[in-house]
Amino acid sequence: MSEFQKAMQVATSGMIAQNVRVRVISQNIANAESLGTSPGGKPYQRQTVSFKNAMDRASGVEVVEVGRIGVDRTAFGQNFDPGHPAADENGYVLLPNVKPLIEMVDLRQAQRSYEANLRVVDVARTMVSRTIDLLR
Amino acid sequence: MSTSMATAINAYVDAVKSAGAGTGGAAAEKMPGGNFADVMKSIGESALEAGAKADQMSIAAVEGKANVAEVVTAVANAELALQTVVAVRDQVVTAYQEILRMPI
Repeated sequence: MSEFQKAMQVATSGMIAQNVRVRVISQNIANAESLGTSPGGKPYQRQTVSFKNAMDRASGVEVVEVGRIGVDRTAFGQNFDPGHPAADENGYVLLPNVKPLIEMVDLRQAQRSYEANLRVVDVARTMVSRTIDLLR
Repeated sequence: MSTSMATAINAYVDAVKSAGAGTGGAAAEKMPGGNFADVMKSIGESALEAGAKADQMSIAAVEGKANVAEVVTAVANAELALQTVVAVRDQVVTAYQEILRMPI
């Protein structure tokens, strides 16, 4: 495997990792208003994604992998809504700890990161291609 | 005349050597490896391998098993391997024709 192929492999792993991140963010955004169903029930808990480096034994390069998808432990919000099925005895409904603004910033960061990896693939490919063109 | 012929043969042998395979032409018996056809075969096989990988990834993607990024990288690799083979082949064929056209 040539160095260019390795570079492309690493960049691809980065793109896949960002794919997972976008998936988790989309879950958070979609469930930003998912409440509990029983009295005092828990609403949707925000999910977080962490990355880790991993050695690819076949090619000997450090690729990126999704470490684990965890949950955000910050406190839930509260809303006074006695008529809601998820309201507790005091009439409060727990709200998900998802902040759409943070999710949008994360989404933008994932997009930029994906674009950077895409650019690496593009540059590596162009470099090889241009070199081969020398023979023509 | 003999000088230019020797130069052409050397150029051809160099071209074949740079393809990473055996040799051909006048110096064939001096060096390990095969003839012109063997060279073409071995450089063609490496491209076929990359092509087969690209096909596998494409099929896996259609079945929903592979990531788009992986497919694109596999196809790009296959494309680059094919480009290399085609460029080397063109170069070697040109050298071969040069020798054929040479006045004796």
